[in-house]
Amino acid sequence: MASIRFHLAVFSAKCTKLGLRILGRGATTLPGKVAVKVDPKILEKLCKGRNCVTITGTNGKTTTTHMITDIFRNCGYTVVTNVSGANLLSGVTTSMIFGRKEMKKADKAGKKVICVLETDEGAYGKIACQIKPKVSVVTNLFRDQLDRFGELAHTRDLIAKGLDTCEADILLNSDDSLVSELYKGREERTVFYGLSEESMHYNNVTYPDKSGVLPASSDAEYCTGCKTKYTYTARSFGHLGAFTCEKCGKTRKAPRFFVKYDLAKNPSDEGYELSLLDAGIGKTEKDPDPKEKRVKLPIPGMHNFYNSISAVSACVRMGEKIGDTEALSFEKCAAALEHVEAAFGRMEKISIGDKKICVLLVKNPVGLDRALSFVAGASDAEGIYMLLNSNIADGKDVSWIWDVDFESKEFPEKVYVSGDRYGDMMLRILYSGVDRERIVAKPMEECAELLDQAISDSTPGKCLYILPNYTSMLALRSILVKRYHLKDFWK
Amino acid sequence: MDNSGKELRICHMYPDLLNLYGDRGNVLSLIRRAELRGISVKLVPVSIGDEFDEKDFDIVFLGGGQDAEQNVIRKDFVEVKGPKVKQAIENGMVFLCICGGYQMLGNYYQEHDGTKIECLGAIDIYTVGEDVRYIQDTVYEADFLKEDGVADSAVLYGFENHSGRTYLGDSVKPMAKVIEGAGNNGKDGFEGAIYNNVYCTYSHGSFLPKNPRMTDHLLRLALKRRYGDDYELPALSTENEDFARAALLRYKEKGNTAP
Repeated sequence: MASIRFHLAVFSAKCTKLGLRILGRGATTLPGKVAVKVDPKILEKLCKGRNCVTITGTNGKTTTTHMITDIFRNCGYTVVTNVSGANLLSGVTTSMIFGRKEMKKADKAGKKVICVLETDEGAYGKIACQIKPKVSVVTNLFRDQLDRFGELAHTRDLIAKGLDTCEADILLNSDDSLVSELYKGREERTVFYGLSEESMHYNNVTYPDKSGVLPASSDAEYCTGCKTKYTYTARSFGHLGAFTCEKCGKTRKAPRFFVKYDLAKNPSDEGYELSLLDAGIGKTEKDPDPKEKRVKLPIPGMHNFYNSISAVSACVRMGEKIGDTEALSFEKCAAALEHVEAAFGRMEKISIGDKKICVLLVKNPVGLDRALSFVAGASDAEGIYMLLNSNIADGKDVSWIWDVDFESKEFPEKVYVSGDRYGDMMLRILYSGVDRERIVAKPMEECAELLDQAISDSTPGKCLYILPNYTSMLALRSILVKRYHLKDFWK
Repeated sequence: MDNSGKELRICHMYPDLLNLYGDRGNVLSLIRRAELRGISVKLVPVSIGDEFDEKDFDIVFLGGGQDAEQNVIRKDFVEVKGPKVKQAIENGMVFLCICGGYQMLGNYYQEHDGTKIECLGAIDIYTVGEDVRYIQDTVYEADFLKEDGVADSAVLYGFENHSGRTYLGDSVKPMAKVIEGAGNNGKDGFEGAIYNNVYCTYSHGSFLPKNPRMTDHLLRLALKRRYGDDYELPALSTENEDFARAALLRYKEKGNTAP
């Protein structure tokens, strides 16, 4: 009976996809939703016997998923993965249903198959038990649309619940105090990755005003165990860094996989070179003679150092787990990073005639902080175009833009603002000290015309940086397709 | 009026813990609208273990936090700083308190299971936690902000996100009437509280940036208290803030443009 139900569910999903295609709509989640209605256990059945990697956390999921996918492909695997954003039960199920054909084909040809699944941090607790991943990556925990989950501690608990429903090896960010404590009770299967302490800045953001110090809002300044303020010997950004609680002794764990790079160089530059290191099974950065691989990272930005090392560590760990350390050696995985391409909205530079644009999706405070910091450091930044919407997928509350330290970031000369909440964003930029004359602010209905203006204002050789949030990015993408005939370049 | 030599000292209480939903924007607003008038601003963070002395400040800002973080500060706020904060309030110190900060000034917070958490008891209010959370854009009307000839001068815009229902005692006045949203408790049609020079609201996020007349009201109160009743806050355009308010109103009338 179960089998009939399963096939009926797959059939319903296919019909739904066909229907959506006829209507000219995308089919990334609805087919899965229909299939789950027919067979609530369908995802478990689809994942059974497959080697799955899951990626969860608040930031960097899409880029990390992308990197892991590319590494496996470069190492000779057939990969089934989900479309960015389609990371709830419905989206993951959809991807697995439509990946079946490819998997079966690969099985027949004797090729190795991996499923790389981005999972929403709120949904992880419910779907990990069906996926039963072999390896599970937790990227970080930053504030993200708190109106969805309430609190970061709650989000962490949802992830913990998921981890306890499977036997996955867990890859945790050693520099995130909220993430790293997920190792408790799961010591045997936890591996840490992070930035080496000497590659961190002490980046305590200050309000550049004679009157005092107003630090950017931070998410985890106090020990979750004993409520004592952490001391930091170094920080990378936000609450990520080398933290210690002097009262209860909780401290950053030395990672097995880590990144080293030259602090004097500008991480906003393309082709930025960094060292990835692996101390080996059961060892950490404190042990001698780690394996080292220097790579030119195709996607710049300090947050991508974390994404890179977590991706490499996930692939290496999977190799160890399934006994394919030959194809998935540290050297091969690290080298494959150089071939990774950016996903749409994740720092890809796009040429429009002789002009250039670069889209950086920003969804939450730390993402915006990183993006502004990146743009401030980019030597080709001439203009910035920010779009802010407040639809349900964005979070209805836009107040988080005030949690970001705009004050310490230098803005490009030309500033354009749109989105449903263009007034809020204009005021935020203005209050950070940018003159009103430099800002052009238009409502969402005029965002396409404003894009035309911003592109036409820009100088060849320079770049217009566009920072939309989620639904404004979707709108922007369709504008780029319609007005500038850029087709499917984000695939 | 000459503002040279005039100074505003802001106490930002627990900025490392109470910093939710853009509350930081309120401090930025006070700084901006003071500095544009030539008033120098001194901003002092006062967190756990730091001394609070009312002599050092003209205005105190207390924001909201996540539950875990509010539990961290409760002891320090109620037991250590409590008596001095109460005294400052009785002496007429200007306070702006948002959400969790608002609740903590009251007598108690009753949790869903009936447990009463003792709060400061500086103003006669209490809060009862309930299951349904109010999360939405809000509009209020505050009579004390009414200016002749300015159509929306008394209108306050905000965003609320709270599960607590707050009830006011006789010595406390509501800050505003609710036009849109739930307000204090979703029942009596009022929002926030005023006691002496203490202003409390559930309005999170960029409350002051969206409401420059409220910012000016607080600045005026604080500076009059410091420099005497004849001190007059210089006029300052609200053109930019009004642009943002008009954009917000436009968005409310038009609704979302979801793709």
